[in-house]
Amino acid sequence: MPEVASTQRARGMRDVLPDEMARLRRIEAAFAAACRRWGYGEVRTPVIEPLHLFTAAGTLSPQTLDHVYSFLDWDGWSGERVVLRPDSTIAAARLYSERLASPGVAKLFYSQPVLRFTDDGASREEWQCGVELIGDTGRAGDIELVALALDALAALDLPRVTVRLSHAGIVRVVLAAAGLPADAQSAAYDRLLDGDLTVVDEIEARLPQLNAPLRLLFEIEGAGLGYVQNVRASLAGAIPALAGPLDELAFIVEVLEASGVAPRISAVLARRFEYYSGTVMSFESAGQRVGAGGRYDELIALVGGAGVPASGFALFVQPLADLTRGDPPPAPGIAIEPESDSPRDHAAALAAAAALRAAGISVATIAGAASRGHRLICRGADGGFTLDRDGRGLVLHSVDDVIGELGRGR
Amino acid sequence: MIRLALPTGDLRRDSAAFLEAAGCGIADYASGSRALRFSLDDGGVARVFREKDIPVQVALGQYDIGICSSGWIEELTQRFPGHDVVRLRDLGYGAFTLWLAAAGDRCAPSLRIVSEYANVAIAVARRMRLARYRVFGLHGAAEAYPPEDADLALIAARDAAAVEALGLRPLWPVLRSSACLIANRRSIAARDLSRSLARLLEGGGGADSSAALSVPPKLDLPFADAAPRGVVRIALPDGHQQPDAVAVLHAAGVRVHGYDDGPLVRRPGIDVDGVEVKVIRPQDMAQQVALGQFDLAVTGRDWLFDHLVEFPSSPVEQVVDLGRCRYGLAAIVKDVAANDVAGAIREWRARSPQAPIRVASEYANIADHFARERHAGRYSVIPIAGASEGFVPDDAEILIEGIDTGSSVRANNLTVLERFFESTNCLIANKSRPHGARGDVFDALVERFRAAALAPAAAGRR
Repeated sequence: MPEVASTQRARGMRDVLPDEMARLRRIEAAFAAACRRWGYGEVRTPVIEPLHLFTAAGTLSPQTLDHVYSFLDWDGWSGERVVLRPDSTIAAARLYSERLASPGVAKLFYSQPVLRFTDDGASREEWQCGVELIGDTGRAGDIELVALALDALAALDLPRVTVRLSHAGIVRVVLAAAGLPADAQSAAYDRLLDGDLTVVDEIEARLPQLNAPLRLLFEIEGAGLGYVQNVRASLAGAIPALAGPLDELAFIVEVLEASGVAPRISAVLARRFEYYSGTVMSFESAGQRVGAGGRYDELIALVGGAGVPASGFALFVQPLADLTRGDPPPAPGIAIEPESDSPRDHAAALAAAAALRAAGISVATIAGAASRGHRLICRGADGGFTLDRDGRGLVLHSVDDVIGELGRGR
Repeated sequence: MIRLALPTGDLRRDSAAFLEAAGCGIADYASGSRALRFSLDDGGVARVFREKDIPVQVALGQYDIGICSSGWIEELTQRFPGHDVVRLRDLGYGAFTLWLAAAGDRCAPSLRIVSEYANVAIAVARRMRLARYRVFGLHGAAEAYPPEDADLALIAARDAAAVEALGLRPLWPVLRSSACLIANRRSIAARDLSRSLARLLEGGGGADSSAALSVPPKLDLPFADAAPRGVVRIALPDGHQQPDAVAVLHAAGVRVHGYDDGPLVRRPGIDVDGVEVKVIRPQDMAQQVALGQFDLAVTGRDWLFDHLVEFPSSPVEQVVDLGRCRYGLAAIVKDVAANDVAGAIREWRARSPQAPIRVASEYANIADHFARERHAGRYSVIPIAGASEGFVPDDAEILIEGIDTGSSVRANNLTVLERFFESTNCLIANKSRPHGARGDVFDALVERFRAAALAPAAAGRR
């Protein structure tokens, strides 16, 4: 018979234990509270979606599509495959176009996992706290998203958070100016998204009119408005269409700088996602990428909806959990137990436990392995209690006495 | 002690010659012996498989070294990129190309691609950035599907002329394939195979011709919805079910020209007005009927069952049990003391509590269903394309296979633990019946099959 694996847990999947779960809940709660403060409503999309939502050009890159979990469902005799949600933005775009499309702006948030195969044994289930701002909000929408993300992150007491900004239009304009046919543009874009900068030399060879190296754009990370203006002055003369995305980026950077945020600027931020069409944002803390997002004005039409512009971001829960403390543990409660194993004493213990919980005290009727509280022995319906505190027994006559005694001990 | 997986079929003669030249010749393999397992001089073992099964067997670590076409390695790689197969060398024979081919000049909005290489076809569709597509993995005869039943076929052919000879238009060479020597990564890492490896890797053979998938930049096939069908379409089986299908047709008084004997014709003529025939693999029929490509099909109840356990809500149903081609599906084991499946599971669990019970079968969905329903606990299904004799106990704990009288099972010292399904050939249809004139033709044809099934000669015939 074949070899036995050391764990029965599926590869690439994680168990979450109570301490870590407390940190995850704190992140989700801080995120949800911030979203509600900014007027967003919570949604959730299904874990299974049709594969074709994700395969259209302009949605996910081929590299990402090579790593989705797709299969024929039990009713998949028609040959149409389904997929375990590999991306929440596309799923949210589908939800919007089918269920919420109406004039005005839709402001949605969610906390849910995406599932993608990883070759290296890394986690294949990635929880995200995401926001989608769907409607004609323009640059103001992008600014709101950056500010909302920073608001949510501020509640987590993280090390300094860095904002990085880019504009997907920059790469698209350069590739179009290089005169690459549509399919070659797509291939070059895939290589750039994949971090392959050798393609920059190939593009430069097709742009003899350049009077500054393209590497100025693709290799240098800028520090704010000054860099954006430098790039505009160096390259927009030779590639006039660059002015549009650079001006849009400059406006957003100027607003953020005036608000006390100092964004870094990169030409390529959004790896492996093709749906971004405008401003792209990324958030980092202590060297870890803790969030990313951007504008995706063509996506909703690609998944069958009307041509509604939109933008969004997601915070990555796992790296945030690694950087975050959980909420302080709750005050130790008590474990109540009947004096005898009789039905009458059990019923009395249950009733006393309910009364104590109603008074805001944490009461276990079965003490857990990690129980740190005191032991309360219930001596029948009218028999009172013995509170065992650090080995000393204290006789109490009523629930009110117990509440009073525990209150004194806090 | 080396464990060697060798191909039957087209690569057998050249592989035997390669082994001979390398000083590892196996006389019985070279002579075409029907045996599937051979002992080697150095204490090793060689096992003959259908070529498609070899990468799977080597990836699982059941065999250290194997010979198969690089096309089948790519089929495994596209589905399981982290598999444990390493290519040792190209052997320079058995060359073919996987061609993307079409027959029509239009395609369905949700493009239909058929292939025996389904995982490669899915990868091609992804790399072509097709917005909406469906890939149908077939057991064979992909060349027969376009244009009516598929928009594209991914088929193995020697060259473009060979594709054209099949009546298709070659669009793009997707992958060049030739025979390869492969090994299990963990075997190379942990077992001393040096004596055999030194011989197998020395001299002869060609350079490594493994190449990445190549896909056409775009597809010049405009979308078009299918035109309404004016005829009733029926699929007839090739292979071992064909003689029984011929007998049924005779009994039904239906003459199908070019099907009774002689060279195989994929689109034979029929002497019933308003009916069109195509000959495909019986394994693939249920899905084609579910899709509505065919109104009727003659297949086996085993393959209908396999389809229905995979897709319980499929609209395919049996309309006539034709009563021929009779055999049972059984769970076969070897060297097990228990006399039922539950007892065998307890026995294997006692031996190795956490190891998966390996269930091998050509009927992958039935095998999965069987293991689930028998509460096998941790199990793995090993799909096999054939040549299953000798699979248990070395390569699987249970073999799910069709058996007739059981004499061959007994002759091989195997045990039938449970015969759980009786198969005959049958006529299947989609629950949505055709209407109008087509409906009349459909009903009349079903009636003729029903009468043929009731003919006394059908009873008990194999």
